Amino acid sequence: MAAIETHDLTKRYRDLTALADLSLSVPEGELFGLLGPNGSGKTTTIEILTGQLDPTSGTASVLGHDPVDDHLAVREVVGILPEREDPPSFLTPREYLQFVGDVRGFDAVDDRIDEWADRLGFVEHLDTLSTDLSEGERQRVMLAQAFIHEPDLVFIDEPLVNLDPIMQAEVKDHMREYCERGNTLFLSTHFLEVAEELCTSVGIVRDGTLVAERDPREMDPDEQLLDYFRSEVQAAARRDGDHGGESPTSGPSVAPDDDESAVEATGEFDA
Amino acid sequence: MSGADSTGRSASGGLSTRLLTRMIREEWRLQAELFGDRFAVFPLVVAAFGGIGVWLLTVTGTSMDAIAAGVHGLVFFFGLQVGTIGLVGRDALRDVLGDVTMLVFSARTLPVTWRRLLAIFMLKDLLYYSALFLAPLAVGYAAVALSSGVPATQVALLWLTTTGAFALGVGTSLTLAGVGTRSRAAVVALVGLLAVGIVTGHLDPATLSPYGFYSDPSVRTALTGFGPALALLALGPLAFEPVDSGVARSATDRYSRLRATIRDHDGVATRTVLEVARSSGSVWKVLFSMGVLFGVTVFLVREVASASTLTPSYGIAVGTLLGLGAFTTYSWVTQFDGAADYRRFPVSMDAVFAGKRRAYLLLSVPAGLVYLALALLWVPAGEVLIGAVVFPLVAVYVFGVTAYVTGFSPNELLFDTPLFVAFGAALALVSIPLIVAALAYGQAPTTATGVAIGVSVLAALVGIALARRAGPRWDRQLR
Repeated sequence: MAAIETHDLTKRYRDLTALADLSLSVPEGELFGLLGPNGSGKTTTIEILTGQLDPTSGTASVLGHDPVDDHLAVREVVGILPEREDPPSFLTPREYLQFVGDVRGFDAVDDRIDEWADRLGFVEHLDTLSTDLSEGERQRVMLAQAFIHEPDLVFIDEPLVNLDPIMQAEVKDHMREYCERGNTLFLSTHFLEVAEELCTSVGIVRDGTLVAERDPREMDPDEQLLDYFRSEVQAAARRDGDHGGESPTSGPSVAPDDDESAVEATGEFDA
Repeated sequence: MSGADSTGRSASGGLSTRLLTRMIREEWRLQAELFGDRFAVFPLVVAAFGGIGVWLLTVTGTSMDAIAAGVHGLVFFFGLQVGTIGLVGRDALRDVLGDVTMLVFSARTLPVTWRRLLAIFMLKDLLYYSALFLAPLAVGYAAVALSSGVPATQVALLWLTTTGAFALGVGTSLTLAGVGTRSRAAVVALVGLLAVGIVTGHLDPATLSPYGFYSDPSVRTALTGFGPALALLALGPLAFEPVDSGVARSATDRYSRLRATIRDHDGVATRTVLEVARSSGSVWKVLFSMGVLFGVTVFLVREVASASTLTPSYGIAVGTLLGLGAFTTYSWVTQFDGAADYRRFPVSMDAVFAGKRRAYLLLSVPAGLVYLALALLWVPAGEVLIGAVVFPLVAVYVFGVTAYVTGFSPNELLFDTPLFVAFGAALALVSIPLIVAALAYGQAPTTATGVAIGVSVLAALVGIALARRAGPRWDRQLR
């Protein structure tokens, strides 16, 4: 059964197209990685699938729920870790995770807080004001809030950002174990080595369109995901050029001539 | 930056001038980026609101002198609010404006001290508000004042002295914030000394503010009137100690107990109260802000009573102004988070705003009631009781209007003209009849009381309805 299913998902902001007819299917138990250059529509995809944003057209199903009509039900059964978001400055990690328990409506949160703090290595910072934590420590707290209610599906935008190498390895192990238990992970990342090492399936998105899907484990030993990624993105860019395709961006605030669009235009990416 | 200048002093002065010029340009571009052409109408709207307000007050028999005093008081209060940016520093700007990088935050990357950047930033704000806010206010005042026989020089003087009153407000809050970065006890002692000085009559706030120069221009009043403002503007950046101690602060778990005490189901109100309480100034900033507004209101009512034949009601006036002043509390309860913080949880925007309202009332109502209780020292209990009814009802209205119009960005009101007009009109709709009722209380106490309570109840009902609509409205806009 598919944990996530989308059909022709499209999101437009006036004359900008952030997502164009995105169709994908992520089976349960998959560790799916969505790769793409800056501004290619990765964050928009996650925001639509988690009911934070309505698509302009198309349909989606997340664990059997419609993220448009039933967005609160979707958010109840999934965990979400947005990119570059911190715990509240003047709450301690313990208090923030208590709040997460309340707002998610589950009991016995204290045991889970201790368990996750231990697992992600921030036990000694549980009572430190979040504003005084390092960026890596804040990211660990945010990872904990995404998993603490033991959801069947978690969306993570850049999972390993700001983590030191040891913690990166531990988080990777955790993510593998999480999916081995039958749960599903949907990652959005720029880091190809993360996708190569972890994912059981990757989708490459460019200008809001899924241009390729691949299981990294099935690649030839001498084949690099980086080369595959580059060739698919450049092939899509050529196709768009042939068809006079537009150059969309990830949101309404991004000017067409900014750095992100420049990156898109050259088919480069910051892996 | 400063170049290879042979004289350190002139290089330093040149650097300050260049920084000021660039900060002004930065501010202009920021406004243009955020609000486009709409911002250009803002001074016109301020002039129109100011003129209408002054005219309405003259209709009730209030003298131009009393109105000028009131304008100084309110501008001082506004300066205090603007100066509180120093209480929360970078987080405040980020919450208000999003993830921006501005020159004022560049002390770590440019060879400029934090104090100099802060001083130039304050000067830029002073010029900015003086030109775009206080000058139009003076124009609005002039439209009525000139026809009432007030000399043009006096109107020009009002612009100068209200700019001074604004500077005094900014300097006061920034200095208190600066002292607070070194010792909280010193802030409490300073505020206590000021309060005792004013109550016992040893300190005359009118003489020690630019209003003293406005009411009696002379060299002596220029020194006593502008001196404190200038001293505080210099002292604020010097007192400020923004250097991170490097020590990670810990806090005992207060969340569970507070949540249980206020019976908060989803934790939104608990989280909000804790964040306000642990931010700089803690819950005392609510008390302080209400205290200043209380002082300004009492001063205005006294001025009106002494300059006219009216016997205004302290209860209704204080209740109304404190209720309107609860807007400041709204900005604090929405300062530390945004709608995005809740969009990954299974909680509706409706529930989020309900939690915010709870936190807002928990913080503002007790603070306002403290001052109404203080008024019992010289105001009859019956009159105070009316104020105690009016105040929370107006506060509920202010919450509903602010939540509906501005959502999580109440400070955008200061820049976005259509929002400012909508918000101003909504507040005027309720505050004008209440102020008229306060002024008419001496002549017709029963009718004035009935009008005040009736208008407040109606306003609160509208506020509740608007607050209920705020959640779905912002949810739709965000999606």
